[in-house]
Amino acid sequence: MTRAGLLALLLVFAPLRPADAQPVQPTLTVYAAADLQMAFGELKPLFEKVSGARLTLVMGSTGNLAKQIEHGAPADVFFAANESFVDDLKAVGAIISQTRALYAQGRIVLAFPKKSTSSLRELPDLLRPEVRRIAIANPAHAPYGRAAQEALERLGLWDRLRSKLVYGENIRHTLQFIQTGAVEGGIVALSVADVPEVTYVPIDPKLYTPLNQVAAVVRRSPHPELGAAFIQFVGGPEGRPIMKRYGFLLPGEF
Amino acid sequence: MDLFPLWLSLKVSVTATVLTLATGLPLARLLARRRFPGRDLAETVVVLPLVLPPTVLGYYLLVLISRQGAVGQVLDAAGIELAFTWRAAVLAAWVGSSALFIKAAQAGFESVDGRLEQAARTLGRSEWSVFWSITLPLASRAVMAGTVLAFCRALGDFGITLMVAGSIPGVTQTTPLAIYDLVQSNRMTEANTLSLIAVATVTLLLMGLGRLARLRF
Repeated sequence: MTRAGLLALLLVFAPLRPADAQPVQPTLTVYAAADLQMAFGELKPLFEKVSGARLTLVMGSTGNLAKQIEHGAPADVFFAANESFVDDLKAVGAIISQTRALYAQGRIVLAFPKKSTSSLRELPDLLRPEVRRIAIANPAHAPYGRAAQEALERLGLWDRLRSKLVYGENIRHTLQFIQTGAVEGGIVALSVADVPEVTYVPIDPKLYTPLNQVAAVVRRSPHPELGAAFIQFVGGPEGRPIMKRYGFLLPGEF
Repeated sequence: MDLFPLWLSLKVSVTATVLTLATGLPLARLLARRRFPGRDLAETVVVLPLVLPPTVLGYYLLVLISRQGAVGQVLDAAGIELAFTWRAAVLAAWVGSSALFIKAAQAGFESVDGRLEQAARTLGRSEWSVFWSITLPLASRAVMAGTVLAFCRALGDFGITLMVAGSIPGVTQTTPLAIYDLVQSNRMTEANTLSLIAVATVTLLLMGLGRLARLRF
């Protein structure tokens, strides 16, 4: 068994990098924040057609992705939901500073399940007794959660609503609480709110600090120019209408 | 529908289970039969992976095996890339599932009557032979149960894999990660289909295995 074990260990951890599997098509691996899932899903085939490259999307919470990039994840480009994470990576030299670009500003909305009996029109409506649970993203680490907390605080609602709050891990997770009707209301990103089960109304952008969303090319990337091209594509004539449709405020609009 | 995650998951969890058997059998036997200094500590360390939140455990592992990490540097010097490859998913599955196997196998070995092993020894059998012909067959039920538990845990691992291997489609995205990604993208039909296929595959596999086990023992 020990011999078999050693063999298994060798098999598993031996370097199995095929030298001859040189891809003809370059692959661009994009690490992107969860709120971009829908928009990037649509952008992917368009960029592949224009560039001839294959695009691999790795979606996750900005914090997790940033940690992985810091520890050598095979990312070419990083689209963060908040600039602070990119700046932390800049500080440790994990990204190419000159490629740092503001690609959008996020907005938050007040959302509630379509099936719910009472419709909400503004944040103070969350005080109503029939609203028993309110979902927001975890303000400790999720940018949209931080914005939600700020807006509620600005209106003096935070302390009064605190006992009703349920935290989602990220903005999509928060939306799921509303989608499934597990909560009567919540605050999510406009970019994810457009789903059949949910109704939403805008929240005054003056109530929270702008959610500056920043992208950058990762230093380890074998093809930084392709990464830079994708950042340009997102902010270019093909990308802009799609990003706009998914509720992102684009540079030049704010 | 992309079935790659299913193949990857099977490959990862089978490899991880083999690894678990190879490392867990000697360890379980050691914990069951020997008294040595630090044994209690070792027994605790074995179950620790079950205690920590998987993503946090995964993060610690990542720090360890990434290029700058203590283990990663050694691997890198040897030309082995572990983090963010399918082998990292094997590592994750192994770390997450070993405890289940070891505890079950240990209990199995402890329930074997030591006098039977002693009798075999007096008849001139080597330790190696005693283990394979007396201890293991008598503890086979517990060992099988532990193997099945470990395999299922390896197949279902999410948090540790997410951190050390990432959720890279077509490379390290195992079935649980793929299902999660589909749910996140609001592609519920595909998510449900993949969940269903995964559950059905494992059900068939385990039922087949159960039948095999009854034939043999």
